[in-house]
Amino acid sequence: MTPSNQPRTRRSFLADTGMGFTGLALGAMLFQDGTAQAEEGAIPTGQPHHEPQAKSVIWIFSSGGVSHIESFDPKPELNRFTGKRVSETPHAGAVAEKYHAKSVGNMQIGSKKYGQSGIEVADWWPHIGSCADDLAVVRSLWVDDNCHGAQLTWHNGRHSREGGIHPTIGAWSSYGLGTLNRKLPQFVVLGGGVSECCGGEWAHGGGYLGPTYAGVRLNGRTGLPYLSPSAPRGQQERELEVNLLGRLNRLASVEYPDDADLQARIRAYELAFALQSSVPEAMGIERETAATRQMYGLDNPKTSNIGGLCLAARRLVERGVRFVQVYLPLGWDAHNDVVGNHGGNAAQCDQPIGALVKDLKQRGLLDETLVVWGTEFGRAPYNTRGRDHWADGFSCWLAGGGIKGGVVHGETDPFGFAPVTPPHYITDIHATVLHQMGLDSRRLTIPGRQRFDRDFGTPIREIIA
Amino acid sequence: MNLRYQFVSLAFFLLLSTAAAWGRPANKKALAEYFGPRLADNLNDCRTCHLPDETAREGKKPHNPFGARLSALRRELEEAGKPSGIPARLDAIADEDSDGDGATNLLEILAGFPPGDTTANPSDAELESARGKVAEFRQSRTAYAWQPFDKVERPGIPAIKSTDWARNPIDPFIAAEQESRGLAPRPEAPRSLLIRRLYLDLVGLLPTRGELQAAAADTAPDWEEKLVDKLLASPRYGERWGRHWMDVWRYSDWYGYAGVVRHSQPHMWRYRDWIVESLNQDKGYDQMIVEMLAGDELAADDPQVVRATGFLARNFHALPNTRDKWLQETVDHTSQAFLGLTMGCARCHDHMYDPLTHQDYYQFRAFFEPYRVRIDTMPGSYPRIDLSNGYFASGNGIARAFDEDVTKPTYLFLRGDENTPDKSASLPPGVPAALGGKLPEIVPVKLSPAVYDPEKRPIAVEEVVATSALRVTQTAERLAKATGEPSRRLAEADLAIAEARHAALLAALEAERLEDAGQIDSDPGRQSIANAARAQRRQSMAEAGKNLVVAKLELASPITAPAAAKKIETIEQAIAKLAAEDDGPPSTTYVKRPIKSYPRESTGRRLALARWIANVENPLTARVAVNHLWLRHLGQGFVSRSFDFGRAGSPPTHPALLDWLASELMKGDAAAGQPAWSMKRMHRLMVTSATYRLASTSDPSSMSRDPDNRYYWRTPARRMEAEVVRDSLFHLSGTLDFRMGGPELPHAQGLTLPRRSIYFRHAQEHQMEFLKTFDTASVIECYERVTSVAPHQALALSHSDLAISHGRLAARALHQEIGPAAEDFVVAAFELTLARQPSDTELAACRGFLEEQAKLYRANSSATADATGRQPAPDSQLRARENLLGVLINHNDFVTIR
Repeated sequence: MTPSNQPRTRRSFLADTGMGFTGLALGAMLFQDGTAQAEEGAIPTGQPHHEPQAKSVIWIFSSGGVSHIESFDPKPELNRFTGKRVSETPHAGAVAEKYHAKSVGNMQIGSKKYGQSGIEVADWWPHIGSCADDLAVVRSLWVDDNCHGAQLTWHNGRHSREGGIHPTIGAWSSYGLGTLNRKLPQFVVLGGGVSECCGGEWAHGGGYLGPTYAGVRLNGRTGLPYLSPSAPRGQQERELEVNLLGRLNRLASVEYPDDADLQARIRAYELAFALQSSVPEAMGIERETAATRQMYGLDNPKTSNIGGLCLAARRLVERGVRFVQVYLPLGWDAHNDVVGNHGGNAAQCDQPIGALVKDLKQRGLLDETLVVWGTEFGRAPYNTRGRDHWADGFSCWLAGGGIKGGVVHGETDPFGFAPVTPPHYITDIHATVLHQMGLDSRRLTIPGRQRFDRDFGTPIREIIA
Repeated sequence: MNLRYQFVSLAFFLLLSTAAAWGRPANKKALAEYFGPRLADNLNDCRTCHLPDETAREGKKPHNPFGARLSALRRELEEAGKPSGIPARLDAIADEDSDGDGATNLLEILAGFPPGDTTANPSDAELESARGKVAEFRQSRTAYAWQPFDKVERPGIPAIKSTDWARNPIDPFIAAEQESRGLAPRPEAPRSLLIRRLYLDLVGLLPTRGELQAAAADTAPDWEEKLVDKLLASPRYGERWGRHWMDVWRYSDWYGYAGVVRHSQPHMWRYRDWIVESLNQDKGYDQMIVEMLAGDELAADDPQVVRATGFLARNFHALPNTRDKWLQETVDHTSQAFLGLTMGCARCHDHMYDPLTHQDYYQFRAFFEPYRVRIDTMPGSYPRIDLSNGYFASGNGIARAFDEDVTKPTYLFLRGDENTPDKSASLPPGVPAALGGKLPEIVPVKLSPAVYDPEKRPIAVEEVVATSALRVTQTAERLAKATGEPSRRLAEADLAIAEARHAALLAALEAERLEDAGQIDSDPGRQSIANAARAQRRQSMAEAGKNLVVAKLELASPITAPAAAKKIETIEQAIAKLAAEDDGPPSTTYVKRPIKSYPRESTGRRLALARWIANVENPLTARVAVNHLWLRHLGQGFVSRSFDFGRAGSPPTHPALLDWLASELMKGDAAAGQPAWSMKRMHRLMVTSATYRLASTSDPSSMSRDPDNRYYWRTPARRMEAEVVRDSLFHLSGTLDFRMGGPELPHAQGLTLPRRSIYFRHAQEHQMEFLKTFDTASVIECYERVTSVAPHQALALSHSDLAISHGRLAARALHQEIGPAAEDFVVAAFELTLARQPSDTELAACRGFLEEQAKLYRANSSATADATGRQPAPDSQLRARENLLGVLINHNDFVTIR
């Protein structure tokens, strides 16, 4: 349950001081002032391992698999061979023989170059395209799950078969770093979530780090249910109750020192009371100016939902939330109709996401905020109207937080089957994100929990400014 | 965080994948399996045991000394009544030297030399190397070989060192694993916490203080057994475990909008009640499976059995082109729920991990190909469907499965795509060969008229007549209340229609009755047709009569008058024409009731499948069931993904115990009068084990060796499921309404109606917010709950009306009982909420709180508190006590099962 491997002495010390809980939450909290220095494999101190470039991350996820070909890795070469079998083209060598009988499917939308960098982006994404000079597009990703379990893989690097035991990227970042605002969760989740089949709540779970590090869901408009008491209570009355509850729970944690749920619940209560005032304020997108609201598309029923999520994400990082995970409430699984599916979806999310990058930039926040857009896998270069899952090569992009703008990293073959440059597993993106936050993924370990080399990933130096 | 996954070990894969390549005959194969990858290629050969004799037929070659010894041993062991299979014999002669060359059989084989050949001897170095392999080999021999796709063999109970620890046969299995890992079990949990744990686990409710004290005061050595029997006999048990099985069996009330059903069916509550009742009766799990999959074939005339097919009815999808999806869900969840098999993977291609072919999938689907879903009328079906709140408040019926598409072929879909069926062959129903067992013969089931003509059952006819009569009464009441000439005339016309319709219905029913009785060609038969036709004409005339009234009223307005005059003329002509037919010859036809008849036979496919699943020969059924039970008592299953016992899942932590429990479930104990497949028996076994009774406290040494408690060195603390949290709040204040069963209640009223959570609507987008906050089951799929800890839960328990009001009511009741002593109140409040005594520190903190709080409110008042608990008590002492109880409801250990 808990990664608690603390020496006995420390536990006794804490029990004696009446603090009770000796788990990791405390580890992070106690030493937030940086009096202790992190050692490899040691409990994090809340201090970064090195000078951070990003204070916060906005992690935008598209469920169902966005076609890399019709988004950030356009392949006009497909149009030359439409309808031909793959084997009849000069590019068949890029892909396993079993795909040679498939017919090449032309791009379902045009593309053009954007900005001074001239990054090629498909025409469904003009707003994000117009941010090209701030983006680092990574075109050489792969995952090993070609089914929707990759939704979980994207977040924790592991196969969905292993369930929720492995911590997600948001959990690692909360675990590694102290909070910037104790009145808000460190790790917030906005939007729908991934399907039950493919990770569900695990995709923002704390895994073996414990539920303390799991993402906290906030609803776009209402924030949280039961935010205020059903009838008003006296201030002093409440305070006495909160104090007694805290004391009783801490006494219990002396008896159950490594009960991760108990520690998480103590934190949840501390947070819950703070949230009563902080959440309505933070989520109050209606307080934004008309110009801002319009920029995010709040005036348009098509874009207003996602616009609201993106705007809330900006407000949350402004207030010190470390990691905001935005699940776009769209499904991209376009087996039959890329035009209808991707075209329709992009019309709902392109403007809000583009606005987010531009808005962060105009406020000077993009320097300290890393925006990551990703999806579980790409879509196959064969077939025409619809495209199947394609996990061997696909794209994501990063912007801000010390990431180079206007760069394309990695390349796939002319049809988009597979990377022709060294491929990056998803954990390389995790390692890059953590690196920008000042954390070395290899130093985020828990005694007794084996992490494989691939779990740590390696930061992609080429896109780091 | 209860789900634990492990990598499938590479060795496990290798063993399985190479086994198939080894040849026959059977003895050679047994040798190869015994040694696994340690057997050198040259020894995977007949000559390991036989002399090379080119003239002898295969299998008749003479033995070499090793083979001879092996062969002779068989009779010896058989006579001694010991296992005599090849593995047992190989074990027995491992340290013998059959060929007398100075090296033992085992060493020779591990060194790659034939043990029956004196001419081939390993060198000293080779022998030394072989000695190094012995330990590993011995270990592999003692490891329990778990074969999920082979019939369950009952393993022996392991010998353990710490025999004083065990209370029943479960414990040695657990202790053996702990001993080999250097884990020490925690001491037994304090009695009061154990009592609380048992109440929450078995009936899903906190013990009252009276119950707690009674069980704690029982000095009998078998106090726990007595308590467990009492709890298992409580109807609350069926409700508690009903919810667990509803998770696994994907219970869903109907889903849709504005009364239009999109998914699942109305009246699913009958299936829910069947679950609760079946559990309470301790119906055999095998019988439950048969009733769920084929109750309509097993006992077609018994609605009490047929309602169990709600398991299948729940898969209904209304949208066009969703039949394939519907059948997919049926195949996926039947195989996952009962067999722990991810059959769905074989929909597009052969299963990647398990021995299930693409064709197996479609043959499995063929069992279900004919089934559809319908609603059979029950008393109260028609008149009382109230759609005003988008909710079937009280309609009545049974949502059930039946076979309709009895001749529909099943084709294999290439790549799983229904648009590319392989029409070269229609696949018959069949079960995967890899699972063994014998599919019973598929025998079509003849159905009675009540089943194929359900609308003609007396119950349904009475319902139709009653509805029609009710309409007459209601229309007459409207007429009595009508004021003003136009309203009165319209109401009169309505009454005439209602009466004529009622008469026409009765006349049509009479003709239908005579026709079904084969008497339609008699005089009374012909007369009944004429009567029905006449009554139907009268109905048309009454309907036209109303049009006439409307048209005549339109005459009053100059704008509508001209058209109205023309209408009147047409209508009057029509009425006259109908009236004239009365004088003509008697009619020989009438309009029959628009009711649907169904096939007169069910294919019997599902019944055969169900009997194959619910069978001691089936390797998976019992294993999967006991894993589900164990998971819910001990916090995690032996197999961590309870729906995947295949090779893509994780192998069990305690394969032998899992098999032993499975065998125990299937066997029962006839001597003790305990039937096979009894769930209650398994609950009793599990919760009275020493393992279950362990404390949830930690131990640094065990924690460092087994942080996930995979080897059960403690009983892990678990969070109450959502339903238990909600029900416990009502129960604390003594207001929980124990009435059972009935139509689902509106989820929107979940925080005010004090019925148990299981009785509220549970459907996609129609679930109680409070329950969702505490991670209630997903309607789509929930083989195991995921537990989160979130500030949302803190807010729900400190801010919801439910928590606040019932905390207050509970405090008041306690106050009444305890009287003024503050210390006594604190102790009682701890007992009520946490089932334990407060420590001195806790007591002092709580007493301090009561004093401080009481000071906040000015005067003591004698006014009585409001009965609902919506308002705090006016008395300052009492108000402080209410708030103390509110704090304890929010204590971590209130929602925790310790």
